[in-house]
Amino acid sequence: MVGTRVIPCLLLCGTRLMKTVKFKDARYLGDPRNAVRIFNDKEVDELVLLDILATREGKAPVEELIREIVSEAFMPVAYGGGITTLAQAKRIVQLGVEKVILCSAAIRDLELVRQCSADLGAQSVVGCIDVNRNMLGKAEVWTHGGTVNTKQDPVEVAKRLEDSGVGEIIVNAIHRDGLMKGYDTALIKSISSAVTVPVVACGGAGSIEDFRSAVDAGGASAVAAGSLFVYQGKFKAVLINFPTQSELESVLQTR
Amino acid sequence: MHPVRPYQICTRCIMDTSDPLIEFNSAGICNHCRGYEHQKQTMVWDEETRETRLQALVGAIRNSGKKHEFDCLIGVSGGVDSTYVAYQVKKLGLRPLAVHMDNGWNSELAVSNIKKTLDTLEIPLDTEVLDWEEFKDLQLAFLKASTPDSEIPTDHAITAVLMQRARQHGIKYVIMGSNVSSEAIMPSSWSNGIRDWKYIKSVHARFGTVPLRSFPRFTLLQFIFSRTVYGLRWVNILDSIDYDKARAMKVIEDELGWVYYGGKHYESIYTRFFQSYILPRKFGYDKRRAHLSTLVMSGTITREGALKAMEEPICEEGLLRQDKQYVIKKLGLTEAEFEELMARAPRTIADYPAYENTLLLRVLRACYRLPRTLKAALSKASPGGAA
Ligand SMILES: [Zn+2]
Repeated sequence: MVGTRVIPCLLLCGTRLMKTVKFKDARYLGDPRNAVRIFNDKEVDELVLLDILATREGKAPVEELIREIVSEAFMPVAYGGGITTLAQAKRIVQLGVEKVILCSAAIRDLELVRQCSADLGAQSVVGCIDVNRNMLGKAEVWTHGGTVNTKQDPVEVAKRLEDSGVGEIIVNAIHRDGLMKGYDTALIKSISSAVTVPVVACGGAGSIEDFRSAVDAGGASAVAAGSLFVYQGKFKAVLINFPTQSELESVLQTR
Repeated sequence: MHPVRPYQICTRCIMDTSDPLIEFNSAGICNHCRGYEHQKQTMVWDEETRETRLQALVGAIRNSGKKHEFDCLIGVSGGVDSTYVAYQVKKLGLRPLAVHMDNGWNSELAVSNIKKTLDTLEIPLDTEVLDWEEFKDLQLAFLKASTPDSEIPTDHAITAVLMQRARQHGIKYVIMGSNVSSEAIMPSSWSNGIRDWKYIKSVHARFGTVPLRSFPRFTLLQFIFSRTVYGLRWVNILDSIDYDKARAMKVIEDELGWVYYGGKHYESIYTRFFQSYILPRKFGYDKRRAHLSTLVMSGTITREGALKAMEEPICEEGLLRQDKQYVIKKLGLTEAEFEELMARAPRTIADYPAYENTLLLRVLRACYRLPRTLKAALSKASPGGAA
C-alpha cells in the first residue's frame, strides 16, 4: 500500500487542458475529458483540476465541462478556479466534485472559507496558496494565477486558512512550476510544520523520487504533479502517464 | 448508388458483395485475391534477396542522417504494427524519432503501450496534439457528410505532421507500418481520400462551423514536392522482413510489455466505435472481413477460421454501449442528433469536391499505372508468362 496520495494536477484554460512553466507559457495538451478518462483507467486515486484563467479574467467556473468530467471520473475530483461565492461552491459540489479549492478568493475573503466549511464540511474545502520567491529568496503569496503579489507570508496565510476551516492546503510553488527539478521542500516544510491539516506539495516534481523528498523533508501528506504526468522524454512530448503501484511503493512505502 | 446485386462470397478469401465493386471470375475468385497476389509479388521482398536489399536500405537511411540527430521518423499509435516498427528499426541500428498524434481519442492502453515501447527501446518522442475544438468540428462534419471516410482527417493529419517533422529535423526517411501481409486487402469503395485535402476542406466548408486554423494539412502539390524536391521516402519496412503479425505480437508482449487491446486499430476509442458500430450499421460492411481475407491469403489463418471469426461479435456489447455514450457526449451531440446522422443516406467522395474526382488526377494516375498495366498485359499475352 502506498500511504501517500499522489495526485495529477490538471490545469484548464476554460475548456482547454494546458500546462505552464512558472505559471506562464501555457502549452496546449488537448481535450481534458480524454485526459481524465485515461487517468481514470490508470486508477488514479484523486485528481485536481484548476482553471488558471477564471479568476484572472473574472470568469465563473465552466460548469458544463466540470459536470462532464466528473460524470466520467471514478476518482474524487477537486476543482478550483473562479469560485467566489458559497452558492458557486455548493453548485460545484452538486455537480459531483468532492472538494472545492479556494485560491485567490480565500486569501482575500476568509469569510467565504468559513461559510464553505460550515456548509460543505471542512473535508470538502481546500485552500490553495500560490507561492513565489522574490529575488532575495523570500516566499510571498501571489493570487490571480500568479499575476498579483499580495506580499503576504505563506505560513501566516496557511494558519489563517486553517483557522477559518479548510480541510487541507495545497502549496503550489510558482518558481518551481513546470521545471521538473524538484519541489521547494523548505517551503513545504515551513507550512506543514505550522498547521495540522494535511499539506499537498505541488510545483516542480520531475521524478517519483521527488515525491519522497516532499514527504520526508517537506512533511507533505500528499503530492501533486503536472508535467510529470503529461509529458514524456526530453522533448516533453504530450503523453498521459502515471507510475504503477509498485513504482510508487518503491519510493513511498507506508511507514 | 451501386445497384443491388445478389449475395456472393469469394471461394478463396472471404470478401463478399458488401464491397459493391467486387468482381468474381468464373471460378468464383474475387479481384481482391488477385490484387493480394499482385501486391505480394511487387511489394514484399522475396526471401533470397531480402537480406542484401535490407542492408542496402539501412545503409542508405543511416547515410542520409549522418549529420543529424535522427536518421528516420516513425509514427507511433500504441498498435501492433507501429510498435513492431519501433522494435525493428532499433534492431536494425537506426536512430529514429517517434511521432505520435493525439486526436483526443487515445485509450489508456494506447498511451501506456507507447510509453513502455519508447522507454524500453530508448526512442525519443514528439507529440502533435490536435486542437480538440477544431478536430471535433471536422469529425462532426464528416458524420454530417455521411460518407464512410470519417477517419480520413486523422490519417491525413498524421501524414502532414510526419512531413513537417521530417523537414524540421532534416530527416529523409519515414518508416511506416503499412504492410501487405496483414493489410493488402481493403476495397477502395470502403475508404477514400487520405491524401485528399480538397475533399477534407470541402466537407468541412459545407458542414463545419469552427475555422480550421491549426489542423495539419498538405495539398497534392506539397505532397509531390516533398517526394521529388525534398526527397522524402516512405518505407514500408514490414514488407522488407518476414512479417507475421501473431509472431510480432508475441515479441512485443514479451520484450516491451506491450498489451493487446482487442481489435485492429482499437487503440483509438473513436476508431473502435466507428469500425464496430457506424460502418457495419450505417454502411453495411465490416472491416474485419478485409483484414481476415488478407490473413487467409497470407496463410495465417484458414478460410474456415476466418468465417468463424466473422461470427464473433465485432465488439463486446457492453463496451460498445459505453463507447457510444462516450462518443455522443464527447462530440457534443444528443442521442437524437446522433440517430439522425446515422439515418442519413450514405454518400461517397464522389458527392463532394475532391482531387479524386478531378480529371487531372485521373489522367496522372492512369499515366502512373500505364507501365504496369502494359507489363501485365504483355506478360499475359506471352505464352507461359502468366503464373
Ligand atoms: Zn477473394
